[in-house]
Amino acid sequence: MSNNKYKVLIVDDEANICSFIAAILESNGYQVLTAGTCLQGRLVFSTHNPDLIVLDLGLPDEDGSALIRTVREAGCAAPILVLSARSDESEKIAALDLGANDYITKPFGTGELLARVRAALRTVRTGAATPGEVFHVRGLTINYDARTVTLDGEEVRLTQTEFNIVALMAQHAGKVMTYSALIQGVWGTSDTGSIKKLQVNMANIRKKLGARPGENPYILNELGVGYRMYSE
Amino acid sequence: MLMERPKKVLRSSAITVLLLAGALLSSMLIQEILAADAAVPSLFILAVFLVALFTDGYIYGIIASLVSVWAVNYAFTAPYFMLSLTIPENLFSAFVMLAVTISTSTLTVQRRRQQQVRSEIAQETMRANLLRAISHDLRTPLTTIYGSCSAIIENYDKLPKAQQIKLLGEVREEAEWLIRMVENLLSVTRIDGGRVHIVKTPTVLEELIDSVLIKFRKRYPGQSVSVDIPEEFVMVPMDAVLVEQVLVNILENAVQHATGMRRLWLRVWCEDGRAVFEVADDGCGIARDRLPTLFSGRMDGADGHKNMGIGLSVCATIIKAHGGGITAANRPEGGAVFRFWLALEDAPPPARRKGG
Repeated sequence: MSNNKYKVLIVDDEANICSFIAAILESNGYQVLTAGTCLQGRLVFSTHNPDLIVLDLGLPDEDGSALIRTVREAGCAAPILVLSARSDESEKIAALDLGANDYITKPFGTGELLARVRAALRTVRTGAATPGEVFHVRGLTINYDARTVTLDGEEVRLTQTEFNIVALMAQHAGKVMTYSALIQGVWGTSDTGSIKKLQVNMANIRKKLGARPGENPYILNELGVGYRMYSE
Repeated sequence: MLMERPKKVLRSSAITVLLLAGALLSSMLIQEILAADAAVPSLFILAVFLVALFTDGYIYGIIASLVSVWAVNYAFTAPYFMLSLTIPENLFSAFVMLAVTISTSTLTVQRRRQQQVRSEIAQETMRANLLRAISHDLRTPLTTIYGSCSAIIENYDKLPKAQQIKLLGEVREEAEWLIRMVENLLSVTRIDGGRVHIVKTPTVLEELIDSVLIKFRKRYPGQSVSVDIPEEFVMVPMDAVLVEQVLVNILENAVQHATGMRRLWLRVWCEDGRAVFEVADDGCGIARDRLPTLFSGRMDGADGHKNMGIGLSVCATIIKAHGGGITAANRPEGGAVFRFWLALEDAPPPARRKGG
């Protein structure tokens, strides 16, 4: 077999969940490794150096977040996609702040999983957008150098802050950005009191991008966690 | 019954003191007016009986009877203002009072225990009914899932591909239904389990409605919803995941139960410090006899697996836990309207953070 496939490590103690995720990924051209415990996960991680880790947080031996820490402490930048339960926003935020790249809420469909995997791998491939680069998604174009945003060819007038938010989101397109990460990136503070400031700016951005409730083609709300810009 | 301990002690002590004081006063009056001692012991017996009846446990009754024996003996029996336990008559009346106390207290304690047992039984019955209803609802989709999967595995080569895909599609549909059911049940346990207070976070109304509509459209792509929300930036303190579920449940309920529906409205407006949410449809409306029990989770008249009992009772539980209100009615023009409200300002919070 060709060895240029992406290697994906799945860490989940539920064998059935492992096996269906493996089936989806393998049939879409990924090479899959699996582990059932945190310990096994560490072992496979250090011997195989995977390109992406899909991680369930509720593991029998240790909390999955311990594995996030191990991976990041080893200086490995491989994206980590966390499998999480529906309603625990604090758990999601904690995992993202520890260095996970994204989460996907159980139960999820094939399309959703593949989109997240592609987005996570893309972030690593392109890294932070370099100046002079242009970001495209659907009808939206962001020119980082000229600091302009156009929608279907027409320029959108954004304030400086609004542009900074949109640009930052575009650099991490496909990945959920927590409120605190956006505030840190745009205002350089970690003041959680700024969440409202961020939300007000975001409301203006939505208006300027012509979004209506339920039809928001560029930025997705992750209630209680943050925002995600579509990447495809 | 659920009073805290110090409150209980205070209440029982007050009853004891008041009743004894009452007996003492009336005895003094009787002595003054009728100049007769004969009625006094019976008055005290009555007081002791009442104390034993209305207080918790044996201790107050026993104290009351000891005090009464002492009072009768000391103040109302010759020789006056002197304790004379040697007189057999006095010893006898002391014995009678103690007997009254103990037998009354025993009866009272027994009666309370029976009441508690009865309410526990009632609660258990309710829980069992709910469990039965849920299990019944779960069994139907599970039967489909199990049956379809077995059919495919055992007849993999014989079944035409189109039929396999059809069966698998049904499996997925049933699994999606199960997921929603479990989400509802989890929401309820998130509220009543361990009496956790809701953690409210200021939520941008537009973002909430956006998430609701995305979820709803994913499930019912063919159903359009007319949305009308305030233009301005509005924040409402709430547990967004739970309120999102309330809205999705009500919208979904309309799709499943409002026969003949063509239009579906979702409106939000602010008035009197409240955010009012309204979901209206132009379908068949709600049968009048169902209106009063719509939110109580009763399963009677449930039409098989599209049961609206659980979904709507979950809505009511969530909104009540937020300190809001929910109503359902029929529109004069036809169709049903569900309305609920949440306070725009968070009430001064008692210690309501749950750990983490």
